[in-house]
Amino acid sequence: MLEYFEPSKDLGTPAVLSDTMVTVEIDGVSITVPEGTSVLRAAALNDINIPKLCATDSLEAFGSCRLCAVQIEGRRGYPASCTTPVAQGMQVTTQNDKLGKLRRNVMELYISDHPLDCLTCPANGDCELQDVAGAVGLREVRYGFSGENHLEAEKDHSNPYFSFDPSKCIVCSRCVRACEEVQGTFALTIDGRGFDSKVAAGQDQDFIDSDCVSCGACVQACPTSTLMEKSVIDQGQPEHSIVTTCAYCGVGCSFEAQMKGDKVIRMVPYKGGEANQGHSCVKGRFAFGYATHGDRIKEPMVRDSIDQPWRVVSWDEAFSFAAAKIHKIQDQYGRESVGGITSSRCTNEETFLVQKLIRTAFGNNNTDTCARVCHSPTGFGLKTTLGESAGTQTFESIRKADSIVVIGANPTDAHPVFGSLMRRRLREGASLVVIDPRDIDLLKTPHLNEAIHLQLRPGTNVALINALAHVIMRDNLQNDTFIDERCDSEAFVKWKAFISEERNSPQATAEITGVAPELVIAAAQSYANAGNGAIFYGLGVTEHSQGSTMVMGIANLALITGNLGREGVGVNPLRGQNNVQGSCDMGSFPHELPGYQHVGVKAVRDKFEAAWNVKIDDQPGLRIPNMFDAAISGKFKGMYVQGEDIAQSDPNTHHVEKALKSLDCLIVQDIFLNETAKFAHVLLPGSTFLEKDGTFTNAERRINRVRKVMPPLAGLADWEVTLGLAKALGYEMNYAHPSEIMDEIAMLTPTFTGVSYQKLEQQGSLQWPCNEEFPLGTPTMHVKDFPIGKGNLAITEFIPTEERSTRRLPLLLTTGRILSQYNVGAQTRRTENMAWHSEDVLEVHPQDAEDRGIVDGDWLGITSRAGNTVLRAKVSSRMQPGVVYTTFHHPGSGANVITTDNSDWATNCPEYKVTAVQVEKVSQPSTWQKEFVAFDKKQQRFLRPEQQSEVNH
Amino acid sequence: MRTAQQQLIHMVNQIAANNQSGTLEDAAKATSSHMQKFWARSMKADIIEYLDTDGADLSDASKAAVKLL
Repeated sequence: MLEYFEPSKDLGTPAVLSDTMVTVEIDGVSITVPEGTSVLRAAALNDINIPKLCATDSLEAFGSCRLCAVQIEGRRGYPASCTTPVAQGMQVTTQNDKLGKLRRNVMELYISDHPLDCLTCPANGDCELQDVAGAVGLREVRYGFSGENHLEAEKDHSNPYFSFDPSKCIVCSRCVRACEEVQGTFALTIDGRGFDSKVAAGQDQDFIDSDCVSCGACVQACPTSTLMEKSVIDQGQPEHSIVTTCAYCGVGCSFEAQMKGDKVIRMVPYKGGEANQGHSCVKGRFAFGYATHGDRIKEPMVRDSIDQPWRVVSWDEAFSFAAAKIHKIQDQYGRESVGGITSSRCTNEETFLVQKLIRTAFGNNNTDTCARVCHSPTGFGLKTTLGESAGTQTFESIRKADSIVVIGANPTDAHPVFGSLMRRRLREGASLVVIDPRDIDLLKTPHLNEAIHLQLRPGTNVALINALAHVIMRDNLQNDTFIDERCDSEAFVKWKAFISEERNSPQATAEITGVAPELVIAAAQSYANAGNGAIFYGLGVTEHSQGSTMVMGIANLALITGNLGREGVGVNPLRGQNNVQGSCDMGSFPHELPGYQHVGVKAVRDKFEAAWNVKIDDQPGLRIPNMFDAAISGKFKGMYVQGEDIAQSDPNTHHVEKALKSLDCLIVQDIFLNETAKFAHVLLPGSTFLEKDGTFTNAERRINRVRKVMPPLAGLADWEVTLGLAKALGYEMNYAHPSEIMDEIAMLTPTFTGVSYQKLEQQGSLQWPCNEEFPLGTPTMHVKDFPIGKGNLAITEFIPTEERSTRRLPLLLTTGRILSQYNVGAQTRRTENMAWHSEDVLEVHPQDAEDRGIVDGDWLGITSRAGNTVLRAKVSSRMQPGVVYTTFHHPGSGANVITTDNSDWATNCPEYKVTAVQVEKVSQPSTWQKEFVAFDKKQQRFLRPEQQSEVNH
Repeated sequence: MRTAQQQLIHMVNQIAANNQSGTLEDAAKATSSHMQKFWARSMKADIIEYLDTDGADLSDASKAAVKLL
C-alpha cells in the first residue's frame, strides 16, 4: 500500500518512493531518507523544523517564498531546502545568524503588504504566516504601510462556503497548485506580474462563476486567511476534532470533524485517511449542514392511515405500535407477508442488525437493500467470474496504471476525490478509454493525452465489451501465461469459441453499438498492450437489462489480459453510496447471509442458528421489486425501511406508490420526512453519520470507522432504534456498543474474522478479507488465486433490451448525477449546494432540439410507456442525437415516473439507463407532478410542526 | 405495465434467454438453478402454478426450467 502523506505533521514536500537510501547530516544529526527526498522533508522527519510558507507536503515543491533557505557545506548561497534534494554525505545547516537575518528580511517584506489585524482575523490561532513570523523573530517592519499595497483589495464572498480575501494573500501559489495538482481542475491562476501578481479564479471571475468545483483544496492549502471557511469566519476556530468517515459517495473519505462543543464548525479532509489522503469534494467538505436542518425528524410518530396526521409518541410506544401491526399482519397473512430494506447510507453494524431482525424477528429472508437498484449486478457478475463480490484494488493502485478504462461512470462528478486521483494519473501519461453514451468531464481533463471515447448507443454495452474481447483474441493480444495458470481451461475453451465468432467482431457489432470498428480496435490495443490496464465502472454498466452480463464481460477482459492480482490493474466498481459495499457484505440480500453465504447451505444456517438461537428459512426471500409486486397482489403487507427512499429512487413511480399504498404497515426510519415516509404508518427518527459510532466499507473494501461527534438529535442512534424494534417484536438483541456488533459480524463472516474496533484503531482502516490468512487485510485481491480457484470466463451473449426507440417513443432517456447533488438529494438539497443545481433539467441534443423547436428553458413533457413528467430543457451536445439525459436529485422532477419496470435478468437491478421516450414542448406540469405537490403539502401538514421542538441551525 | 404474474413470466424468460449458449437442456438447467438460488418460495410456487394452469407465455427453455423446480 502506497502512502504519500504523513497525517500528523506537514513535512513540507511529498514523500519520494525510492529503494535507494541516502544519508545526510542536518544540524549535526545524521539522517537517512529515500533518494530524492527534499532537505526540508528530511529535516522535518527528524523534528528539525525549517520555516516555510509556500511548501506543504500535499504539493510539489515550488521554491518561491525563500523562507526555507539553508546553507549546505561546499555550496554557494542559500538554497531553498524544499527544492533541494538530499545527496549522500551532504552537510546542512538550518539555523544560524545569517539564515535568521535572511528569513526576517523575507518575512518583513511579506508583512509590509499584509494587514496587521491578527486579533480580529478569522485565522487567528491557525495561521502559518503568524506562526512563521513568530518563528523567525520578526519584530519590526521598516518599510511602513503607506506605500503601494493590496490592503484594500476587494473580497469575494460569492462561494456559499468560503470567502476570498485577497488583502491577506501572500501569493505563495499554494491554492493555485492545489487546484492543479490535487484537484486537477486548473480553475485558479496567478494573474499579472511582479507586484501586480494576484490569485484569480477562472478569467478573473468571482469564484462562483469560475470553473471552481468547491472541493476546498485551495482553502486547505492556504497558509493565511485569504481563503477561509465562512463557518469559521462566523463562529471562530474549532476547539477539538474527531476523525470520522464521510457519508456521501463510495470513496469513503476520512475527515476531521472540527468542533466547538457538539457543533461541527468545519469538516477538514484527514491526511491520514487512506481513501482520500487529505483531499475532499464539495459534498463531504462543506455540505454537512443537513445534519442540523430544521426538517430533521426528532420524535417518533405513528398513525393508522396515511390520510391521518402523525401522532407524536414515545420511542417505546412507537416500537409497540409497529410490533403490534407487524404481528397482526403475520397472523393474518402469514410469516412471509412482511420484510424490510437495509440502507447503504447506514453503518455496517446497523445494516447487519436490520437483516438480522428480518431473519429472526420477522422469521423470513425478505430482506433487501438499495444496492438492488445500483450494484447488485456487480455482486452477481464478479462472484460468477472471479469468485468474490467486490472490487479488486485500492484507489491508490491507479497510480501504477498505464491504461485506464472508464465504463459507464462519471468519476469527476459522482466520485470526485477518486476522479482527481484518476486525473493526476492521466496527467502523468496513462492512456484513457471512456465507454459512455455521454461526453463526460473526464474527457476534458487538462493536459490529458489523446483519449479514446467509445460513444455507444445506450443499451449496447455487452455488444461492445464482446467486440473488445474479440479483438484481443483475434489479434493475439491476450496473456497466455495468465490464462493457462489462472483461468479454468474448459470455460476458456468454450468462451474463446464464442467470442471468436464473427458476430462479435467490431465490424459486426458496429451496427448495434454505433461505434466505429477502428475505435474499438484502438481501445482494445490501448488496454491489452499497456502493461497495467485498470477498468473502472459505474451504474452505466449495472443499470441495464444485461447489467450482470456486462460485469462478467469486464471481468473476462481482465482475465484474458492478466490484468488482475497486482497494483495498477483490476476490476473496480465505483460504488454509488457510502456503504454499498458494506450493505452487501452484511447479508442484506435475500439469498445471502453476511459474507455472501447462501441461505440454502445447511452448514451456514447451522452457524447462524446457533448464534442467533432461531430457525433460519432455507429459501431466499423477496427482492425489492418482488416485494412491490407482492404488495400489489395483496400478499405482502408490512415493511421496515431504514434510510432508503424507495418512493423516489426506485423505477416506475406509479407502481412503487401503488405498492406502498397497499401496505398495512410501513415503518420508515429516516432523518427526514422523505418521499417514502409520506406513505408510512410509523416514522422513526434516524441519525446522521455524525451522531453514531460504526463502520462504513468503501468501494475498495476498506472498513473505516465512523465516530460519533454529537449526540443523536432524537436520542437514539439508528442501531439502537433497531434494537428497540426487535425487542418489541419479541426478539431481544443485546449490544452495549456497535463494537460488539462488529465482534458478532467477525464471528460469523469468514472474510471479517480479523476485524475488530481495536484493530481498526491500531491500523486506521482494514480492507477485507481480513482474517487468519490476511490478518492486516487485503489491499489487492486475487494475487495468487481466486476464491473459486480458477477464473471463470463466462459466456456473454448480447441480448438486446426490449426497451427500444419506436416511432411513438423515438428518443432514449438515460439518467445520471452531477457533482453538487447526491442521489435523491435528501441531504444536499438541504444545504447551500442548491446554489449549483436547484432543479433537474432535461439535456437534449441540438439536432433533436431543433427538430422540436426547443430552446433552453422550455418546459418539456417527457413521455415513456410508464408515465410522463415535465422538466425544463437544456440544449447540450454531450449526448449523441437521439439520446436525452436527466438527473434525479429532486423528487418533484418525477424522473422515475418515466423509468420502466425493465431490469437486469440476473438481479432485477432496474434498467434506469435506457428508457424510450418522446419529448415535446408543454405549458404546464404533468398530472403526476400536480398530484405530487398536493400530496406533499398534505403530508407536510400532517407532520404537525407545533409538536416538533426547535432544531438548532 | 406488467402484472405480478406477467412480471414473473418475463423474468424467467429473460433468465432463459441469457443462458441460451448451450442446448435447451443446458439452458433449462441453468435457468432452474438460477431460480432455485435467487427466487423466493412464493415466486417459485407462482411460476409452477402458472405452468401447470397455462404456461403459454413461457419460452421452451423456461417451461423446461420450471419443470425442474
